[in-house]
Amino acid sequence: MRPLLSTALLLGVVALPAFARAQEPASTAALVSRALEAEGAGKNRDAIAQWRSAIAAGAVVPGVLGLERVFSLLAQEDSILVVIDTLIPRFPREMQLRSVKLRSLVTLARSADADAAFDQWRADAPKDVAPYREYARVLLFNSRPAKADTVLRLAAESLGNTRPLVLEIAQMRSALGLWKESAEAWREAMANEPYYELATVFSLTPTPAASRDAVRAELAAPGASVGAVQALAFLEVAWGSPRSGWRVLSTRPATDTTIAIWRQFADEVERAHAWPTARDALVAIHTARPDASTALRGASAALAADDAPTALRLARAAAPALDSAKRLTEVLPIELEALARLGAAREAERVLAAAAPAIGPDGVRLQARTIAWAWIRAGDIPRARAALKDAPLAAEDAVAGWLALFEGDLAAARLALRNTEAPGQDAVSALALLNRTKATKSAAIGTAFLSLARADSVQATRRFEAAAMELPDAAALLLSIAARIETARHNDDRALPLWQRVAAEHATAPEAPEAYLEWARGLKRRGDVAGARLRLEHLIITYPGSALVHQARRELDALRTGAVE
Amino acid sequence: MKASRIARLTLALALCSPTARAQHLLLPMDDAQVNHLKAYGVTFGALKEGVRSEWLLNYRGGAFLIPDMPSVRRAAALAGVTVELADANAVAAMRREISEGNMDAVPLEKAPRIAVYTPPDAPPWDDAVTLALAYAGIEYAKIWDDDVLGAGLAQYDWVHLHHEDFTGQQNKLFLGFRDAPWFVQARERDLATARRHGFADIPTLKKQVADRLRAFVERGGFLFAMCGATETLELAVAGRAVDIAGPYSDGSPMDPDADAKLDWSKTFAVQGAHLEQAGGVNAMSDIDGHQVNVPSRRQPLGTFTLFGFSAKFDPVATMLVQDHRTVLADYYGVTTSFNRKSLKPGVTVLAHEEGAPWVKYMHGSYGQGSWTYLGGHDPEDPQHNIGAPPTDLALHPNSPGYRLILNNVLFPAAKKKPLKT
Repeated sequence: MRPLLSTALLLGVVALPAFARAQEPASTAALVSRALEAEGAGKNRDAIAQWRSAIAAGAVVPGVLGLERVFSLLAQEDSILVVIDTLIPRFPREMQLRSVKLRSLVTLARSADADAAFDQWRADAPKDVAPYREYARVLLFNSRPAKADTVLRLAAESLGNTRPLVLEIAQMRSALGLWKESAEAWREAMANEPYYELATVFSLTPTPAASRDAVRAELAAPGASVGAVQALAFLEVAWGSPRSGWRVLSTRPATDTTIAIWRQFADEVERAHAWPTARDALVAIHTARPDASTALRGASAALAADDAPTALRLARAAAPALDSAKRLTEVLPIELEALARLGAAREAERVLAAAAPAIGPDGVRLQARTIAWAWIRAGDIPRARAALKDAPLAAEDAVAGWLALFEGDLAAARLALRNTEAPGQDAVSALALLNRTKATKSAAIGTAFLSLARADSVQATRRFEAAAMELPDAAALLLSIAARIETARHNDDRALPLWQRVAAEHATAPEAPEAYLEWARGLKRRGDVAGARLRLEHLIITYPGSALVHQARRELDALRTGAVE
Repeated sequence: MKASRIARLTLALALCSPTARAQHLLLPMDDAQVNHLKAYGVTFGALKEGVRSEWLLNYRGGAFLIPDMPSVRRAAALAGVTVELADANAVAAMRREISEGNMDAVPLEKAPRIAVYTPPDAPPWDDAVTLALAYAGIEYAKIWDDDVLGAGLAQYDWVHLHHEDFTGQQNKLFLGFRDAPWFVQARERDLATARRHGFADIPTLKKQVADRLRAFVERGGFLFAMCGATETLELAVAGRAVDIAGPYSDGSPMDPDADAKLDWSKTFAVQGAHLEQAGGVNAMSDIDGHQVNVPSRRQPLGTFTLFGFSAKFDPVATMLVQDHRTVLADYYGVTTSFNRKSLKPGVTVLAHEEGAPWVKYMHGSYGQGSWTYLGGHDPEDPQHNIGAPPTDLALHPNSPGYRLILNNVLFPAAKKKPLKT
């Protein structure tokens, strides 16, 4: 059964019998109870008889809803209409009866009869918003937004005010793809009832990219309610821009309400693995209402976002509020990992030494890899090896692989790096290189990757360039790694000559199409549109099988029409 | 199999191999084509270079046959257009097959000079034709009222109109958008143009523009109109001597006898239609079958079917319906369709909705020229609304609806043959 109908029926089961018990004689309540039991036991024929008796005894609404459920199970939806048609003249003000009739007629695709029932209801209650609301809801539920639009327009004409229908209008507009207008209606709805933020997110998540700015403008307009702002923040997460979502929320004063919303937002972005945003949200929460649990979550998010300084600060902020056992199990690993990433090897060793009496030799050995990484980051390979003295690594351990690579032992690295746990860009580059070259030793390669590991991109670029001379079979890849580093640094003066070298000297290498694409982009950034066009055309013509051809065509079209890519 | 007669080599192979020379390149337009829309651009580009081509009507979805030249190969490769190499034997086999069936080969001689009637500041995505032309890489010029009222039209073979309201009522958007900045700006721009040319108001200006467009066709021009331009052009021509505009457009109410005073003798397609006289109802007349902006009259969208014509006896109509699909999903516009009861007897219906009282796509001759009307706004955006995001044609390179537009762009390039009927 469809969700809206299920919800409506569930409400009928739970709420209306209770109402009936309070308002009607005991015999009626007993009849309702028996009917529910029969229905619950799957005795549908009995249930029909019991519900009919309940209706005869005065439990009209629960009885009709019960019959609607049972007839629906029996695929006899039209049977309810006979009952309803006898009851409406007796209870003309009973909204539920009219709703059931509309629902049944629309489900049965009897559009003309549904329209007639709607018109009759309007005629019987000319100033009432209920006919419009109920019919619009039924139509929206049945995926007929255009018809719902007609009903809501009629409401505007007849009632002169659609404020009571703002929810239906919002849903209808999003169903019709009127995103901006839908956002406007949702904002209006949340002005008095901010708890519709989840419904807003559900309704507006499918907004196409080109219409999102209009939705943003509506939900963030001056005077927008907390609900509207919260909805926008969650929409941004759903649209893949969690940082924008946090920007919306972060400017609000840190009241209890705001912090509750920040907590929900942090949960959401953690689920989305949007770590930099999760870090920012958790830092803000911790600043406003410090507590160890938030600080630890923030530290983990910061580590995942590769922000070691923040991770270290938060982990140390959490420590005083925790007992010694938690400090050792939860704070120490984060602290050591952060120090390792910062290359603060001596400090990491000192922290570990201080904790050694509590964690014992086994605990120290567990952290040996982290300490080794800290020394690698510090550029001291002998000390990294020394750190592993009491905790020898398996030959195929990734850390062993990295150490081998840094020492230029490509054969050992090739074996061990297959098992690298978290293949980042460095690991992808290393694996690509080890796959490309047949060489087993190369000091130049070792120093180049070591520079990368130390986050010294200037040295890394130079060394990869130099390594290209030493390993001709991987020269295109090594030059491309250097060019990628410079491109990421927005240093076109260095990047473009490198891409040009790849394109000119290694035209048959797998990196050549990428080189032409990046070369074109660099030229475009410099305003040389004609030059960019030439490189894109060359890529398309020369490398028709490349996966980059489609992208090149799009960028060529954008150059031609002046569109923004 | 016709396909087996053609060397099915990919362009990539052809470019790599100096020996893979063919005498012709076939741009298939059936489901073998990867990018139908850009295929029109490649053909247009060849014509611009002076390379005579052929349009193979009803053959493989309306394929194009172009002499094998490096520049054409390059253009096709850059555009991602599927090309098959055809040597003399393959071409001979093709011609034999074409001669034996309801097919024909129409020579394409010269790229038409194209103008799009659009405000100078309109973005290309406001109009399906400019979208299609830009995506296919077909050059066009923009013209506006000053050009039409001057001598500008004479420079062009083909003029396109989209959703301009030639009754001068700005599509009756005054009712809902009178304070919107873009509406105010357009109104001020048109009023300034009217005064510059000595007209008192926008309706008078637009009716004069409509008459110039009518005369352009009469003198031999090709006119292609979509959306609201179709209906309002007819009304403006028929209402040349009558006040058919509401008071918010020219300060005076519509002539109460306007309906009776309309002169349909000079219109292209319509006769005996009735004006919508209620200012508060967002419709111009009863020409449009769908009435999308009048909730109580709005008709749901269905599908429309392209008619098949005899390629040898009716090449123009055949060219206009070349497509790899014959049943297409309908789409709304200010004017979505044309009520059949209002059409003049000589109109050629190109597409209609089965069982509905309206047609979608039609064509006719007028004086020395011809006109084509296609209802609706954007074939890939069925519910297009004001402010809706632009359609990205890179996501619809095989759009059968957009092909109808591009058929119209290319058909003026066809060499006129003596009529066989």
